[in-house]
Amino acid sequence: MNPFLLYLLLLKATLTSFSGMASLPVVRHDLVETRRLVSDRQLNTAVAVGRAAPGPNGLYLVSVGYFVAGWPGAAAGSLALGTPAFLIVLLLRYLGRRANRPRVRSAIQAVTIAAAGLMVDAVVPLARDAFTGWVAIGIASGSFLFLTLTKRATIWVILAAALAGFVAALV
Amino acid sequence: MRRASLPRLGGIFLRVGNLTFGGGDPTMAALYAELVTTRGWLAAETYGLVYALARITPGTNVLAFCAGTAWEIAGWPGALMAVAAVTLPAAVLAVLLTLGFEAWKSNHLAMAAIAGVIAAAVGMVAAGAWQLLAPHLARERALRACIIAIGAFVASFSLGLSPVQVLAGAALLGAFWQAPNK
Repeated sequence: MNPFLLYLLLLKATLTSFSGMASLPVVRHDLVETRRLVSDRQLNTAVAVGRAAPGPNGLYLVSVGYFVAGWPGAAAGSLALGTPAFLIVLLLRYLGRRANRPRVRSAIQAVTIAAAGLMVDAVVPLARDAFTGWVAIGIASGSFLFLTLTKRATIWVILAAALAGFVAALV
Repeated sequence: MRRASLPRLGGIFLRVGNLTFGGGDPTMAALYAELVTTRGWLAAETYGLVYALARITPGTNVLAFCAGTAWEIAGWPGALMAVAAVTLPAAVLAVLLTLGFEAWKSNHLAMAAIAGVIAAAVGMVAAGAWQLLAPHLARERALRACIIAIGAFVASFSLGLSPVQVLAGAALLGAFWQAPNK
């Protein structure tokens, strides 16, 4: 795929989200469902990669870009991740405190909440791909509980999940 | 305010942005210590304004925050340098990790470990959804949050609307239906 078109598709996802992972439903809709450029397995892998690396949330876009178009795709993913950040300069320069009005904040809050609902929808097919047995279901549940109940870094979840999968294969 | 040199500013974003685990808030707190308290390059009031506007900037909040603070300190060159410093090293690492996942595909035991990580990714996405929703579930706001979240799920899952359509509808609804004050 043309990396510029990929950049535009990923940019659409980042421009319509207000946190790193909230772009996932749009990415899945465009690249998995509509264009079939990546599989749910690759999207799951990209999420794991994005959470394993330090740095900003949303790094999974880089991995998704790599799956679609190699290094140029990864560059497209990086640019799509970074581009919306510069909109804050326009907000600071032209709107300042007026951008912080209650109606604007309320609309953004509603978009964020709706993104949570869309992410639950996106989890269903990802789970269908990843849940190959009870061990996988246990790992996913443990990952969810660990991340919602503690403030510890995701890297511990990834290491524990890899170890659990490894041990389960040996047993 | 003291003047900042561009290389030193870039160095701070490179270090804080790539070595701070735990997401956006710890990174932004570390940048407060560096830019406001220690070096005096940014006023606390400006930090607060950028922090608030980063929340309503599309995309990843912490990147918008970095662009905004660096722009206030050193203009467009600063903003470009900050976003590049925070994004590029982590992006290269992400590609290397992706290559690692792909390379280990043929090994049976490595695949079992990767399958465990992929299962964990499902939990991560679900946790991400919960972390987006949870701050809006305070008693007097919970009904509105649940209606919007469940409505978005149904609109996508049952009605087949695209995510962009659902998000546009949510923005419209949110503009006219504001949550009661805390």
